[in-house]
Amino acid sequence: MNFSLFHLLFLLSLLITHLSFSRVLADSHFEGFDAEDDETIEEEILDHHSIRSPPVTKSDSHPLTDLETQTEPDPNPVPASDTPSQSDLQKPSATSFEYWDEDEFEGLPVEQPPPEPAKDTENATPNDPDPKTTAKSQDVTVSKKSFTVEIVCGSFLIVFVINYFTGKRENENLALAWAAKFATKGSIFEKNFSLLGVGEGEDSPLLLKEGQTVFKFYASGRRYCQGLLATMELKSRHDLISRLFNLVVPCKDEITFEVYMNDEAMDQVIFAVAKKKAAKGMQKEVRDLQRFAGLVPNPSGRKWVVDELSVISESKEVAGDLITEAVLEQVFGDKAYEKYGKNFISMHFSDQHPGMHRKMLVFKFALPDANNMADMTRLVALVPYYIDLIGRYKLSSQARSKTETARVKAAQEAYKELQNARQEALQRKKAEKKKMLEEAEAKLSAEAVRKREAKERARQMKKGMPKMKMTRAH
Amino acid sequence: MSHNNNTSSANDPRQPSSAKPYVAQPVSQQDLPVDYSGFIAVVFGIAGVMFRYKLSSWLAIIFCAQSLANMKNVENDLKQISMAMMFAIMGLVTNYFGPARPGTQS
Repeated sequence: MNFSLFHLLFLLSLLITHLSFSRVLADSHFEGFDAEDDETIEEEILDHHSIRSPPVTKSDSHPLTDLETQTEPDPNPVPASDTPSQSDLQKPSATSFEYWDEDEFEGLPVEQPPPEPAKDTENATPNDPDPKTTAKSQDVTVSKKSFTVEIVCGSFLIVFVINYFTGKRENENLALAWAAKFATKGSIFEKNFSLLGVGEGEDSPLLLKEGQTVFKFYASGRRYCQGLLATMELKSRHDLISRLFNLVVPCKDEITFEVYMNDEAMDQVIFAVAKKKAAKGMQKEVRDLQRFAGLVPNPSGRKWVVDELSVISESKEVAGDLITEAVLEQVFGDKAYEKYGKNFISMHFSDQHPGMHRKMLVFKFALPDANNMADMTRLVALVPYYIDLIGRYKLSSQARSKTETARVKAAQEAYKELQNARQEALQRKKAEKKKMLEEAEAKLSAEAVRKREAKERARQMKKGMPKMKMTRAH
Repeated sequence: MSHNNNTSSANDPRQPSSAKPYVAQPVSQQDLPVDYSGFIAVVFGIAGVMFRYKLSSWLAIIFCAQSLANMKNVENDLKQISMAMMFAIMGLVTNYFGPARPGTQS
């Protein structure tokens, strides 16, 4: 459909331009020569000849001037014999050249002097060799035409296609390397979860590929939690343009672990750890952090996480309970962070998680490249450790009272919002129903209204007529 | 850290009884990220066809290729991408095999 429309438009526009061209020339002729009807046909033929040569002269003035000077002496003897028959023709062609060049090609005075004074006789015959010379010069110009656009774009496309396949394979290898390290037999997830993979049964595939950059790994069957979903979001290595963009704007391969906790396993905990800037952003944007928790200042008198990280929590007590000695020693402490913590991005535990599932633990790490998967071992070990820790953790009474009040308030507000939303929906429905009824009534009564109006008009006509008669009488 | 727990069977954290199979979460159409490269491809394709500008048609083809490479959902995305491809190829065909552009040499 789009094809034909556009093609039609193009053909139309081309036709119009061609017609306007020929008309302009014809008019210019008729202006100058009123009584020469016999020569109108010949003038038009000459028009075509003259149409052919100027476009070439416009861009390639140099070769033509040479060729013209070469052809000048030759046609001289030939047209000399033809002058009586062609004298009538010469005037219109000379003047046609004049009209042509003055109106159309104002920037080409160079071409005029040689043809004009060089006897109008030559204008007839050079029109024949001119097409040949124009053909020659066109061949010359074709070879001089540059193909830079085609070469550049074609080579880019070829490189793009090659990069697609290599990038795709690179991403797959990275994902498989991760799975080989952490999800196959004897690995940490195999020891922690009974069901691994996204399919059903024994031989289910471990990874699910959603697009060239997203890989998912699922595990289920553990105490305290319903399941774990690991999503790997890799760089767009398969897309050349994104790859070039990522040279300028740096990007990382990321893996996100989402653990769905059981309702009875998780107490009222809202807690997050991230790098300083990211933590501030998280605290402002993520709904539950913003509402319930705040940045926890580094407590004095005990070991704490590295300065680069900050902790968000509802209370210092909870934060202290969750940042245990073991964790500090392994990952977050001063010494350990240098070696093992570089790939840590954030972690976020919440029982009021915005989204489908309420009680979730979310871990985000950066993926090292395929050969250095072992760097992540300690970070991945954090996942089952915290599942057990949160699963067993019970708040103290003080902490519980604080959290309880905050959550009750939040629940009440949520309930009120629900009520308001329901009321608004009901009101909208009522208004719609009213509108429907009114329209129906209006349609039904439209006929009655019309009849009334017709009756009124008839009455007015009757009233009006005697008046008119009276005035006429007067 | 707590690797010791996992080795002894008494402390095995696994619970095969509670294992749930994976259920893919459906993603609504609006949540999907906007296909910028497809949109740009259509814009360049139309510009190349209307203004008979060769570079524009070639760029449209390149962005079509990028959009194809990033395509996630075959059924939904293929329609827009194929439309963009049609524009781009039409632009190239009219540029190379059509009559010369008036005013410049092709």
